[in-house]
Amino acid sequence: RILMSVTEIRSGFTAIKANIQARDPIRTLSILSHPQSLHKVKSSDRCCIIHNLFNFYMDKVFKHCQTEDSYINRKISSIANSFLSIKKKLEQCHNQNKCLCGQESTEKFKQILANYEGLNITSAAIKSLGELDILLDWMEKSR
Amino acid sequence: MKNVLHWSAPEGTGDGVLYKVKYSVYGVGKWIRKPECRNINRTWCDLSNETADYEEQYYASVKAFLNGMCSDWMETTRFNPLTDTKIDPPMVNVSSTEKSISIILTAPEKWKRSPDGESVSLLQVYPGLQYNVSVLNKKTKKRWFFSVSNNTLVVPWLEPGTAYCVSAQIHVTTPLLHSGFSKEYCIATLKDKTA
Amino acid sequence: LGEDALLPSPQNISILSTNMRHFLTWSPVTIQGETVRYSVEFQGEYEREYANESWIPICECSLITATVCNITEDISATVAYNLRVRADIGARRSQWGTLKGFFNRITTSLTPPPMKVIADGYHLLVELKDMGPAFQFCVLYWKKEPYWLMQWKMVKDVSSTVHLDTMEAGHDYCVKAQTYVETINRSSSFSQTQCVRAQGGRSL
Repeated sequence: RILMSVTEIRSGFTAIKANIQARDPIRTLSILSHPQSLHKVKSSDRCCIIHNLFNFYMDKVFKHCQTEDSYINRKISSIANSFLSIKKKLEQCHNQNKCLCGQESTEKFKQILANYEGLNITSAAIKSLGELDILLDWMEKSR
Repeated sequence: MKNVLHWSAPEGTGDGVLYKVKYSVYGVGKWIRKPECRNINRTWCDLSNETADYEEQYYASVKAFLNGMCSDWMETTRFNPLTDTKIDPPMVNVSSTEKSISIILTAPEKWKRSPDGESVSLLQVYPGLQYNVSVLNKKTKKRWFFSVSNNTLVVPWLEPGTAYCVSAQIHVTTPLLHSGFSKEYCIATLKDKTA
Repeated sequence: LGEDALLPSPQNISILSTNMRHFLTWSPVTIQGETVRYSVEFQGEYEREYANESWIPICECSLITATVCNITEDISATVAYNLRVRADIGARRSQWGTLKGFFNRITTSLTPPPMKVIADGYHLLVELKDMGPAFQFCVLYWKKEPYWLMQWKMVKDVSSTVHLDTMEAGHDYCVKAQTYVETINRSSSFSQTQCVRAQGGRSL
């Protein structure tokens, strides 16, 4: 059922993608895809990266993406609540120790946090939200 | 995934406008000129080669020149080759016996750099790819729909000597993408020899 | 706004939710000779846990005169939602009336799908109605006698007449269907069984 919630997130994101990405003028930096791509993550590290990234989006991204547009805010709420419902399901895996973090994924996630902290909080949050399809593409491709 | 950049000529400039194009990989710090699209007078530029890696996202930009004057660089929105693409219908191959038709479906290939380059089927790019198949009985005018994951479908127990028309569509669930239906391929079941 | 406390807040706030379509309803606030308008806001679990318990207005249900609001678009995750309504007359405004308890779409009521079974020669077909992207259909079919092997097919894309299977000449086949919503992992009850007969005579 995670897949179906991901489909709902994808649909919510598609509705706001152009608007959110237009608010991110920085072409030369990425939070998720550079310098190291998500697509290079080993499958054994997948669960840990997804778990960390869902926490990252819940704790550091959605709450800093308030806009003046109520439609955009409602869609962000919809995505955030879908994230929360997936996060709770992932927590079951994490609590049963099926989601261990290897050295590589720990480094990878540190890099993502470093990219995020390299910008001011609102720009970093909007950029992260605008890169949601990078996360979804990677999750769907490697399921 | 043949990715062609298109733009409109600036208003009121008539002929003689030339353009140049550059592109960048999102998250990487530099713009890259496209030599084959330098000082061109057409309003498109094929960037398939430059955007072939669908794990990356891209921006492209165009500048116009006329009589020594030039425009600002005009930029696209962020381009995701995986989701921001159109999918062609599948190829449909139909054969028949007296009482059945066999349908073989072939998903289009991903764009490739050269004819002898390695072929990559869209099945490999979109793991959730499925086919919706429509079969029309030309006599009764009734249309049936099938949804199949593999690329062959046999429809048995049909009426001999009857024309059936088949068309098919590609459907990807994540990301949500679908092609149009292919044109119809019609074939008749063989006549009943005992009749 | 000193007078707003005089304007009573909406009462009997409740949710009508069927087949993943969710409506908030409430009793009208009646003030002689006045037009009362209502505004609706929602709060998901994310807003409670991560966003300072913030509320989000539904602009389609802002200053409306109706006493019902379609909240389907905003109830788009399987989490617990809070909902509230307030009344306005000009500058006068009531306190918020809040739904008693949370609403989670997992409680939506699912009705059996309308269905039409067709025998076209030796082919068993079913017509189903598209109920939206959240819905799939689980279709069960079996040969009536002598052999009761029950088979099933999950149907996602409902565009027209869906082919189920081929039938043995002259035999009766029966079909029933239920909806399935993957995001809440629930199914409706089955529709009425419908039976049809394949063309031709039975072979002995």
